[in-house]
Amino acid sequence: MEQRSILLLFLVLAGAATIVFTLVYLSSRKPERSGQGMSNPLNKRFWFSLILFVILGIFSSVTIPKSPYYLFADETPTKVIHVSAMQFAFFLSENAIDPKSPSNETIMLPANKLVEFRVTSMDVNHGFAIYNEANRLIGQTQAMPGYVNRLRFKFKEPGKYSILCLEYCGMAHQVMRSSFVVK
Amino acid sequence: MESTKSKKITAVWILTVLVLFIVSIVLGILMRLNQGGSIEQTPISFYTNMTTHGMTMIGIWFVAGMAAINYLLQRYIRTSFTINVVALVLTVIGILLFWSSTFIGKFHAAWTFLYPLPFKQMGAESWATLMFLVALTVLGVGWLIWSLSLMTQLLKKYSIPQAFAWQHFRKNPKFETPPFILITMITLVGIIACLISAVVLIVLFFAEYFSSGTFVNDALLMKNITYFFGHTIANEMLYLGLAVIYELFGEVSGRPKWKTTWYVALAWNFTLVFILTAFFHHLYMDFVQPQGLQIVGQLASYLASLPAAGVTVFSVFIAVYRTEIKWSLVNLLFFIGIAGWVIGGLGAVIDATISNNFVLHNTLWVPAHFHTYNAMGNVLFSIAFFYWFSTRQFTQNFKVAKYTKWTLALLLIGGIGFLMAFYIAGADSVPRRYSIYPSEFTTAAPLANLGAIFATVYLIAILIFFFNISKRCLKILSLPS
Repeated sequence: MEQRSILLLFLVLAGAATIVFTLVYLSSRKPERSGQGMSNPLNKRFWFSLILFVILGIFSSVTIPKSPYYLFADETPTKVIHVSAMQFAFFLSENAIDPKSPSNETIMLPANKLVEFRVTSMDVNHGFAIYNEANRLIGQTQAMPGYVNRLRFKFKEPGKYSILCLEYCGMAHQVMRSSFVVK
Repeated sequence: MESTKSKKITAVWILTVLVLFIVSIVLGILMRLNQGGSIEQTPISFYTNMTTHGMTMIGIWFVAGMAAINYLLQRYIRTSFTINVVALVLTVIGILLFWSSTFIGKFHAAWTFLYPLPFKQMGAESWATLMFLVALTVLGVGWLIWSLSLMTQLLKKYSIPQAFAWQHFRKNPKFETPPFILITMITLVGIIACLISAVVLIVLFFAEYFSSGTFVNDALLMKNITYFFGHTIANEMLYLGLAVIYELFGEVSGRPKWKTTWYVALAWNFTLVFILTAFFHHLYMDFVQPQGLQIVGQLASYLASLPAAGVTVFSVFIAVYRTEIKWSLVNLLFFIGIAGWVIGGLGAVIDATISNNFVLHNTLWVPAHFHTYNAMGNVLFSIAFFYWFSTRQFTQNFKVAKYTKWTLALLLIGGIGFLMAFYIAGADSVPRRYSIYPSEFTTAAPLANLGAIFATVYLIAILIFFFNISKRCLKILSLPS
């Protein structure tokens, strides 16, 4: 789901919740004569919980298969890019990166082909977040010392993509960035 | 029955929490103004403020909830006054040590202090990390003693099955566990579990610190322990607030007291399971984490909403819907707080969906949702308790005064505006925890300034509550023993 759609979904749900709370509050201004309030509350509670359970079940079964771990899991990547992060820079290379003398290369990637980023860190935790030309976050993984996270992606649009650090890593976290080009 | 000294210590807790809250809000506003370009702080000053703001907020709302349940537990069991004082003293010492590590030592690894960042901070004093770890130890020891003491006292009166209300799973139970006792027990188990994990975490940090490089921790394991602790304590403080609502909502509304039934018992027992397993959602973007745990994270996060909505929120609706409820500031704050908790929960469930987290993780969507259920949920639960506690010592009249309606309006306008600035920026992919924003994020700075303005309106409402509540708390302190 794109972030704008997510925001819209949230605003609709939050608006609906606000309306329900307001109506419940206003109903107490005109109480039932009997003062008994809601009729058959146990039955209503049961149905409310069951409907919520079904909605959550549907959401889970639709969204879990779309998790990034399963993206292009059965395909072989056309290109592998090694990424090594350190305070406060990213090193990108088509070859394995030597932590003792890390080197950075200009990265060009093919459009519509599967690319695998093998992301690690040489010091603290960092985030490896890819932003498109419209500055929208399109995917990410963490750069963690001692581990390699594999992020697979197919870039549909050619252009310049930015990489930003999205895991707080210290005093210059906000300027830690890199980029690559998709042709 | 509560004694005068128990009233006095509760009043001191309230005053401490409110003063620290106001300072922390000011730090938050300064952060947003810096992000908006309206003031200029060095990055280190910004990040030390951020670290102080986060840790102080978590700490104060945790102890606010603990102080409230400690006070109310005296209706059912005896609690230790000495331990309460020890917890207060250690909390104050811990916070002072922590503030020294940040404001003087420039410790700036954020309140999550994700390993190994505390060992690799540039620009911090060499002693700052040690001071931070000592502060954490002092706080952890104080809170663990407090939680264990309350649980021990509870188990002196109630057996384990009774404290967990398991007898309610059978027909016609002979003994009813008060809902307040059930929720307190469930919450204390979670708190003790997360504080023990904090002890393990601190020991591992100390082990590496003093090993001179011969012992190195595993980053993934440390991250799991950190979030088990951090996620759980941040959630349990909300549940402490809910315990207070279960105890007081009926009482202050002139309605029957809430009872434990089979579904209330079932819901809260399941809540314990979900709350201890939902923390995996903080590690979704660590693809090396076993995938089964990632799925557990999403399912537990989703399922946690079921008992919350189906039992607690629905119970509030039943208590209010078409009933002759006596509205006062206390139950009004509880009611609005529940709405804030629900709306923040919606934002949280959206973010706890792995495929959404892929494009939301560590953007401003994260502070957006947790500020919703804290600033507009948990804070209101606690302020309601503070107001009820401080007022009932002098009068039983909790009627909503005219000026109070304006204060509530300020709270709502300020709160909603400040949160919307976070949500919109989150949907615009603006990163969280950036002292200033890269120029390409054109909406980020104006939204930060707008957030600061609305947060100031929220602060004004909090200041009005503060003067009101603290005036009476100071009177309680001058009561003869």
